[in-house]
Amino acid sequence: MTPAIVHVLAQAAFGAIAAAGFGVLFNFGWKVLAWGSVSGAVALAARTIGLDLGWTLEGASLAASALVTTLAVVVLRRHLRISASAIAIAGCIPMIPGAFFAQALIGTFNLTTAHPVDPTGTLVTSAISGLRVIFTVFAIGAGISIPIHLLRGRDY
Amino acid sequence: MTITPPADQDPVIYRHRELEQIAIASLGCARVLMETGSRVKVAQECCRLLAIGLDAEMSGIRVGYASIALTLGSGANTITRMVTVNRHGVDYRLNQAVRDLVVTASANGLQPAEITARLDATVAGSKRHPLWFVVVAVGLACAAFGGLLGIDPGAFGPVFLAGALGQFVRHRMLAGDINPYVATVATAFVASVTCGVGARVAGSGTVDVAMIAATLMLVPGVAATNAQADVLDGLPTLGSARAISVFMTMLFAATGIFVAQAVLGLHP
Repeated sequence: MTPAIVHVLAQAAFGAIAAAGFGVLFNFGWKVLAWGSVSGAVALAARTIGLDLGWTLEGASLAASALVTTLAVVVLRRHLRISASAIAIAGCIPMIPGAFFAQALIGTFNLTTAHPVDPTGTLVTSAISGLRVIFTVFAIGAGISIPIHLLRGRDY
Repeated sequence: MTITPPADQDPVIYRHRELEQIAIASLGCARVLMETGSRVKVAQECCRLLAIGLDAEMSGIRVGYASIALTLGSGANTITRMVTVNRHGVDYRLNQAVRDLVVTASANGLQPAEITARLDATVAGSKRHPLWFVVVAVGLACAAFGGLLGIDPGAFGPVFLAGALGQFVRHRMLAGDINPYVATVATAFVASVTCGVGARVAGSGTVDVAMIAATLMLVPGVAATNAQADVLDGLPTLGSARAISVFMTMLFAATGIFVAQAVLGLHP
């Protein structure tokens, strides 16, 4: 296997484990937990392929979340009667850039210390991290919402 | 369904009492849905379905972050009732069980007292994963997040242990009715300090990233996506309230990490 494929598989495995962990935290039953894990693997594999193709994080996240949600609506809700939005959200949560969010906030904390080191650089880095968080979260939200609306996959 | 009032009772007062019972049952279901991670549209649909099933008309509903108000009508009679919504969380199995109850009640015209009794039984009998299992799962999820962030092999063990410990601390604090934001900052501090010390001992070169990975179970992902879904559904007020709560949670989590980094001397 090429290093690129190994990288995609590793990211997919991490995505599956992270989605399953959140699924347990959200009290998913066993069947939903298994599908949530698959959803996380597909989402992270799709995002990694997008990033490897040179897409932005936001664009790759949008494509990955839209793909996972579409699959969840078409396969799971229509054939297995499982909540598509729950599976899609579980799969997409590992893509939410919590680390960028923390880095952005910690950077702004560092700016307010008595003698900040390289305040201009810190401000720019924090601003970039903050903007990536906003755009990526909106991309993921749009990627989940748009297919559900278009495919009439909204479950009650 | 409307029940003909006894001959000795005022039909207007009788219908008002019927509507009140329907409103209480509907609000009870909607409250549990909101507290277990539903979008606003789902809570609204719950009240609409129950009103239809019980031959009432839903004249209006206002779903706020901390309360829900519902107005039901029947001919010239209307009644408005409100219920308080407690801490927002996520519980998929309970959420689905309540949705199933609402659909059954609407289709079969269950009486309000029976709906309320079934709701209470559903909440009381809802299954949850054991704490040890949740703690281990969250530890593994944090380690996986670390892998996604590119931590080196030496940091995986400390991230797993710190994430699991953090989840245990968070669970105990929330079970003890501690303010959720206070629980967040304490959890972030405990998890990141533990992870930082462990990663240093293990000789990791990615201590700072590992400390963040150990706290990522605190990221309110469902609240973030629900906030956007509510705004897209034409409900910007509650969507904004959710977004503020997401920001506050992340601010408190970052504070915990920042203090932990200061304690370990990682600040420049």
